[in-house]
Amino acid sequence: METFIIFLMALPSLADRAGDPSLNAFRSKAEARNMECTRVSQAQAHERFPGQVPEPSPRVSSNLMDIDALVCTPRIVRVGERPARDEAILSSLSQSVSDIAQVAGAVGDPDTLWHVDAFYPDPRVAHKIAVAARTHLVETGHLVSDRVPLLAAGDLLVMRDLPERKRFELACARFFAEHALGEHEAFLGITVVDPRETQLHAGVCQKGVWQWLR
Amino acid sequence: MIRTLALAIAWGVAVTAALSPASAHADADTGITDAQKAQLEQLRAKIASQIQLQAYDLLDELVYGWTESPVFATDTPVVLADVSVPVGFGSGLEALVENHFVSLVTKNPRTHLVLTHCPRCNELIVYSGAKGTVVSRGVDQPEALAAAGAASGAHHALFLDFEAEGAALVLRARITSLEPALPIVYARTLSTSTASPALLRSPERLKSAAEARQEYLDALTGRGFFLVPMRLGIRNYAKSDSPDAQATPFPFVWLQIGAEAALTQARAWTASLSVGGTYTPDLHTGWLVQARIGRLLSGSTISLTQPDLYGFLGGSVITIYGPGATIFGDKVPTTKDLLDAATGVSKPEFTFAAFQLGLELRIKSRIGLGAYLEYAPALENAPSIGNYLDLGFIQFHNFGVEVTFCF
Repeated sequence: METFIIFLMALPSLADRAGDPSLNAFRSKAEARNMECTRVSQAQAHERFPGQVPEPSPRVSSNLMDIDALVCTPRIVRVGERPARDEAILSSLSQSVSDIAQVAGAVGDPDTLWHVDAFYPDPRVAHKIAVAARTHLVETGHLVSDRVPLLAAGDLLVMRDLPERKRFELACARFFAEHALGEHEAFLGITVVDPRETQLHAGVCQKGVWQWLR
Repeated sequence: MIRTLALAIAWGVAVTAALSPASAHADADTGITDAQKAQLEQLRAKIASQIQLQAYDLLDELVYGWTESPVFATDTPVVLADVSVPVGFGSGLEALVENHFVSLVTKNPRTHLVLTHCPRCNELIVYSGAKGTVVSRGVDQPEALAAAGAASGAHHALFLDFEAEGAALVLRARITSLEPALPIVYARTLSTSTASPALLRSPERLKSAAEARQEYLDALTGRGFFLVPMRLGIRNYAKSDSPDAQATPFPFVWLQIGAEAALTQARAWTASLSVGGTYTPDLHTGWLVQARIGRLLSGSTISLTQPDLYGFLGGSVITIYGPGATIFGDKVPTTKDLLDAATGVSKPEFTFAAFQLGLELRIKSRIGLGAYLEYAPALENAPSIGNYLDLGFIQFHNFGVEVTFCF
């Protein structure tokens, strides 16, 4: 009879292992890498998953016993499905854009009207970066426009032959000279400087002067 | 300086070429065969179907927010200017998202948004003004739309942008006023970073995440930690293969009632104690006491929508009175034994222990269908009882099925 007790007990154990996000017989390394895990307190875990995590017992003091839960969620887009740099930038988009917008917001006056654009080889990713930055600036109380300042084709031809950093300085000067940007307007440009890096750089153009933020 | 043609569309291409590092992503697709591309498309379609519900959830949350705190005080025509999905996903997901969003706004007039059809707003238009000629989407050149009278009465454009950031799906929504400066009048970011399952809210009765969670909790606790299961079952004892065995075991119909407790919040483990009785006129009367422990096998928590499969292990003490009890004895009942029992001359009684191993399919912890094999050590010496399954070290003498109703 004992054999069968063990047998029956083994079934749920195996079922639990199948749902375990860590590397095991049921999960390959690739699958484990595609999980994004966060450690949360038992109270938070109960809040999010009331059917699976019980409420913390009031009899157990948090000073005596620290119970937490590891919440693992599969990545929506698995590693390798998008170009590595796009994935790195998009995965941390909210955080990096938030950092940039925070610094940029401190540069301008409260009544500054912000124009935002992103420069990235893939226009879809550039669009995502620009939208994230605009949205974050609005949410933090800044005046933001959906319009991006335009340059003439001749300006673009000249800029194409300039060194990386000079391009933005010239573009900024031309924006102001051609009244694409006014006195109380600022342009936030977000870009990648080195093709190999996954960090976003940003600069602000105000009154014809380009200033790198990071 | 030549400044006759500034292309807004070219801004994304030409300015990028001018301001961003050259040749950065030139090799993004190189080395991918057609078969790999097809496989990738299949995978994307699969993932799209999975994130569709998450996208719906975010839209529900957005529109619910507008019903509680409308962007506009009065009904305002708005153009749905753009819906963009995560990089790598196709127009199929865009269509699903757009349809769901329009459905939500239509069914929730408290948002004060009146969606307007404006084909020119999303089309490329060419506009020549004092500063030059610009080619762009209509919503990016409101003065061109106004000049052409093509704005369909809408003075605002709505943009919905979804992006997959790791395990989270992020929705960024913004409303832009269609005036020359294109000021953004509303923007909001919503994320599924809480990793909660989709709330599946009804479009007609949107509710907050807190309210939806409370409903879920009510559904969980509504079933309670204690149930009263009533089981109606049939025990079929195997006929012995021995030539001496003359009596054929008959099915015993049992009615049991007891209490079942959930040992965990998710009802992953359950324990029950029940008493039962059986009665067949002129044949037998019996009673039993049974304890069981069950384990959920179909997942880590019971499902609100799917049947749950439990494995269980039980132990019983069974007592049978009457002529029917003679088949459990350690000798073959003779005709005289049966006649004596039937006429009341003798009062056969047999008590034995039995252990069950079985499976039960439960539907919402209300109705269950179970089947089990039973091992009774005392019946190993009963010549009238055989085995359904003999594993050498253990023999299962009885096969039972039962229907359970939980109250």
